[in-house]
Amino acid sequence: MGRRVVITSFGIVSSLGSSEEVILESFRAGRTAFALSTFYPELPVCPVEGFNVRYYTGPCKELRYLNRGAQFSVASALAAIKHSGLGKDCLAKAGLFVGAAPNLDIGGEFPEIHDGKMDRDDLQALWILRFLPNTAASLISRLTGIRGENMTVCTACAATLQAIGEAFTRIKAGRLDLALAGGGNSSLSPGGLLAYKKLGALYSGEKGPALAMRPFDSERGGFVAGEGGGFFVLEELERARERGAHIYAEICGYGCSLDAFGMVAPAPDGESGRAAVLSALGEAKITGSEIGLISSHGTSTILNDEAEKLIIESIQGAGRPPVIALKSWTGHCAAACGAVELALSIILMKNSLLPEIRNLREPCSNKIDFIREPRTASFSSILIENFGFGGQNCALVLRGPE
Amino acid sequence: MNHQHSDALEKIRAMLEEILDLEGKEISEGTYLYRDLGAESMDLLELAVALNQGFGVKVQDEHVFLWRLRFYLVEARKNGTDALSHLAGKYPFLDSGRIAEILDDLDEGPVLKVKDIISYVEYQAGIIAGGRADGLSG
Repeated sequence: MGRRVVITSFGIVSSLGSSEEVILESFRAGRTAFALSTFYPELPVCPVEGFNVRYYTGPCKELRYLNRGAQFSVASALAAIKHSGLGKDCLAKAGLFVGAAPNLDIGGEFPEIHDGKMDRDDLQALWILRFLPNTAASLISRLTGIRGENMTVCTACAATLQAIGEAFTRIKAGRLDLALAGGGNSSLSPGGLLAYKKLGALYSGEKGPALAMRPFDSERGGFVAGEGGGFFVLEELERARERGAHIYAEICGYGCSLDAFGMVAPAPDGESGRAAVLSALGEAKITGSEIGLISSHGTSTILNDEAEKLIIESIQGAGRPPVIALKSWTGHCAAACGAVELALSIILMKNSLLPEIRNLREPCSNKIDFIREPRTASFSSILIENFGFGGQNCALVLRGPE
Repeated sequence: MNHQHSDALEKIRAMLEEILDLEGKEISEGTYLYRDLGAESMDLLELAVALNQGFGVKVQDEHVFLWRLRFYLVEARKNGTDALSHLAGKYPFLDSGRIAEILDDLDEGPVLKVKDIISYVEYQAGIIAGGRADGLSG
């Protein structure tokens, strides 16, 4: 048997909470953070309230260079390391895999561009760092002492799940024994919201913030932008056992693919998405029918959910595993959605909880076991799916601790 | 210390506290930026932006932060000129007492102190008041 890879620690910052206790309480109480944007009053958003990155870092002069997404990255990375108990001596050889999105908060940096003139007296000397996608990796490395193989992945909504998959692959292949993987993102700045609003991906209907996100529902009409971050300590199994680390889950399979189709819309037949899913299942030596839970991408857009429905119908087999859609709870964290949903999935598995897909009244498929009411049920394997702009598809398969 | 001088110290202290995210750290004229405060060159670039804005003077990074100091010393040695007078020509905002102090302090690490920055902004402000808006050049 080859090398096996386990998750021994994680950190999450989300609109449902930033600790297992608070997140569970949010699920059980049906508590979400959906509200109307202050900037575009017609748009619902799902913010992380009261977040302060300094709470995680302490005094840190580099914070001035972090956009909000990078702040979520750094905060959740430090939370994961703190919880792991790993010291700087172990971390020097560790890898670092970060999923990130471009900073769309252009107006926050340049509130008054006239005739293309951007310079002004108080513009930071190193303002470029707020826009470079690897700024989070640089600071995480500096703060944790990680110096090993690394990569910043910018594959839109597949980015963080793919970063985690890449870390898994390298540990499995023996290139690393230890890695930190995940990422953060926020699309809630005026520039971020404008970007998704202009291309027509955001919900802007009349239903009100709490009812806007409705994955797989016949009345769905776009997503609600969210934000957050998550990071995971991935370790080779024997090494984790030797040091007596707590094992949350084993990553058993990873797949990624491209649609060769549109720059925004997913391929309607879902063929490439399906290939990524089958690749992850194949590596994990498990079938879709045997999977305990599917954490869908479920963006609540017409096109994604339609293509994803086809994928799930084609891989689920007779087992028809239950399907959840965590974006109905957090909004769409875009590049960070994989990390946030993986962390939430681990918490749900540990506590045998299946939260309902919020606002799913009229499912787009009657062949799929969508979770419509909260259930208590133990499950020991999870398939996580994320599909991003550009036709970027990613899937990860986890098993619970033995 | 005259009133303007202590104003300058206060302003620079506030800038450093913000840029370096320092709280309750003592910053006086004799404080070293690199050695005591842990500043890096990227932090000083931000300080230059703040000095430009806060003092209304044109700040040249390599002058105010003495970035070419060691290069000038090599230059002086090559030309056979006296280090003190060579540096005095390059850094007219530093008096000869301070330059002598710097020459004695080179082996201990980066020499830049808060008072050098005060000297620079006061010198530049004097030049502007005297009608030479170009300040120090190249």
